[in-house]
Amino acid sequence: MDWAGWALFGLLATTVLTALMISAQLGGLSRLDLPLILGTVATPDPDRARVAGFGIHLVVGQVFALGYAACFALLGEASWWLGGLLGALHGSLALTVLIPLLVGIHPRMASNRAGPRSTAVLEPPGLLGLNYGAQTPLITFTAHVGYGVALGLLLGAR
Amino acid sequence: MSPHGPRPTDRTWHDINSLGTPIEDYALLGDTRSAALVGPEGSIDWLCVPRFDGRPVFGRLVGGPAAGSFRLAPARPLGLASRRYRPESVTLETTWDTDAGPLTLTEGMVAEVSGDLLPSTMLVRRLTARDGPVEATITFDPRLGEQHQSPRVQYRDRDRVLVCTWPTTAIALKTNSAVRVQPGLPQTVTVSPDRPFTCVLAVADREPLTYVDHDAAWEALQRDELRWQAWCRDIDPTIPHRDMVTRSLLTLRLLTYSPSGAPVAAPTTSLPEVVGGIRNWDYRYAWPRDASIGIAAFLGVGKHEEARAFLAWLLSATRLDRPRLPVLLTLHGKHPAPERELKNWAGYADSLPVRLGNGAADQHQLDGYGWVLDAAWLLTQAGHRLYSETWRTMAGFADNVAARWRQPDAGIWEVRADTTHHVHSKLMAWLALDRALLLAGHHRASPGRMRRWTAARAELREEIASCGFDPERGTYTRSYGSPDVDAALLILPKLGFEPICSPRVSGTIDAIVHDLDAGPPLLYRYPPRHDGLPGIEGAFLPCSFWLVEALAKSRRVVEATSLFDDLIALASPVGLYAEEMDPLTHHHLGNFPQALTHAALVQAALALRDAGAR
Repeated sequence: MDWAGWALFGLLATTVLTALMISAQLGGLSRLDLPLILGTVATPDPDRARVAGFGIHLVVGQVFALGYAACFALLGEASWWLGGLLGALHGSLALTVLIPLLVGIHPRMASNRAGPRSTAVLEPPGLLGLNYGAQTPLITFTAHVGYGVALGLLLGAR
Repeated sequence: MSPHGPRPTDRTWHDINSLGTPIEDYALLGDTRSAALVGPEGSIDWLCVPRFDGRPVFGRLVGGPAAGSFRLAPARPLGLASRRYRPESVTLETTWDTDAGPLTLTEGMVAEVSGDLLPSTMLVRRLTARDGPVEATITFDPRLGEQHQSPRVQYRDRDRVLVCTWPTTAIALKTNSAVRVQPGLPQTVTVSPDRPFTCVLAVADREPLTYVDHDAAWEALQRDELRWQAWCRDIDPTIPHRDMVTRSLLTLRLLTYSPSGAPVAAPTTSLPEVVGGIRNWDYRYAWPRDASIGIAAFLGVGKHEEARAFLAWLLSATRLDRPRLPVLLTLHGKHPAPERELKNWAGYADSLPVRLGNGAADQHQLDGYGWVLDAAWLLTQAGHRLYSETWRTMAGFADNVAARWRQPDAGIWEVRADTTHHVHSKLMAWLALDRALLLAGHHRASPGRMRRWTAARAELREEIASCGFDPERGTYTRSYGSPDVDAALLILPKLGFEPICSPRVSGTIDAIVHDLDAGPPLLYRYPPRHDGLPGIEGAFLPCSFWLVEALAKSRRVVEATSLFDDLIALASPVGLYAEEMDPLTHHHLGNFPQALTHAALVQAALALRDAGAR
């Protein structure tokens, strides 16, 4: 297990993922804003939430990178394509399980069952995050594949 | 009599009554996620699932009998005795006389389902007899979607639960009677004073069905009723016609999609603006303009959470288009699918086509920016500091206005003809820049940006005064060089563009009242036949409420009060309004109920209150 590689490259790969998502958002392709969604768990101010959310996302990314590093260690190999495959699995999991489940635990995210008492301000992501724009599934999936490819490349190079 | 000649409908109301229920005879049931329309004969003729813009499961309103309905009523009614919403709630109560005594139908949709194992769409209907056993009829005929698809039918719990399924949608109808409800076939049940008949309709879309016990459903509806009453309690008791203002606020809240905060313009599609005509549009979308007007209405009665929710929706929904402000969006902020016409849909009173989608989505409308920036300014005035992101968005809108105000646009009325220089749009562009400059006093903006806004605002003022004003008649006009007036200009007194009592403002109000009179208290929005479509549409109800507001703000309070009283008398039997009204018969026209009309009613009442009227 490459602990030093995990510590550094996990951070880099998460930054790549976040940068891809933010670029897509700024390019008008998706309204999915992971730092905002994660950060509004702590504060309602969007600007402050993004800062907090970026930190949370780095921590979460690091946790996932541990899983990637463990897989590479078990398989005895780290490569860009293996990382890409794991990224595809990770992206699919994020779209079908992780993002939809946020509704159940996020204090400021409405659910599709929200009623008049709801004071939540973030709309629910819906199936595959489609409420945040039609391109959201593709962007999210691609960004996670990018995360896996980056980790595979960097850990494989050591 | 209208100065514009014959009545604006192509068909008499005798014909309509023979074809269907008059629009204003429907009442709204809702849960802030979807809504149903129920007629005075106990028939639910409209319900889309799982959301306002979903597929109709009961579509008889515009699809004819083949599109499905759900009727619950006495088997042999002698007549309708009363129909009302329970005070300060959205629970509807309809009582019919029968030869065995009165029979009352109490019904509603449950809004608060979070935290309990309840379906997100749940409709509860209870029949109660007072004097003795009364025979009632239940006709349950769900048909899903464009093709009026019949369900696959199964029974559970010793035939007490009817389950209707389609590939992704399922409905459970549970009753407390032994009667076996069969879709499409009328069944008779006997309702005794000691044993009400209760039906619970639960809908599941891409999720498991929930069977809800009738007592649990009834209790959930009653809990909802208490919540609505609590919500209404703090509405200012000094507002004129407080009961109607309360009904309007409840309607606005019912038409706000809680999961995203999007205000839907109306829960229906294709209720005609001309009966038998082609002016049939899909209003199950959210217009940023309407959201902004809603913000003003809710803020005016102290409902700050609702106002902030509208702004939050605006921010989220417009993110992909900034700095452009889309004309309309879906409930989750997407662009609507292209407008299309439904085949094999009968239309309301043969008014074809029935449309899905709305072609106005692709238009350029300058006025929306003014409404949105004004709403942000109102929130700031009410003590809410805008988040930095909100301010950046508003500043981006102002930049866009400063860059594009010289272009012609489609205008507030979304006329599907060539674009032109609408004076109302230019005024709203001026308002956008003015409010941006006011907001800049509370936020950071570069000196260069403020100079651009200030210069554009000054140019707009000059151009509007020189090109948009008819000095001979002393009125602002519909568009540059046009002899016509436009009822949208009634918002002039609240903009701050001119002193309230200036002759230009009063001249414009008077010219509108003269030229667009549809028979007091009604106004056309623009001169009839000036929109390139066949037929003459009805009077446009929000304009009449804007006239009340304009008169009240111009200190013509007696006129305003009298007009408001007359308009209140034109409400539907349960206090709702459509978008338009037939000037002669006072039947409602267009999609129903209409959020813009109800928001305008609230603002008119607030203006009267502020002017000292009682």
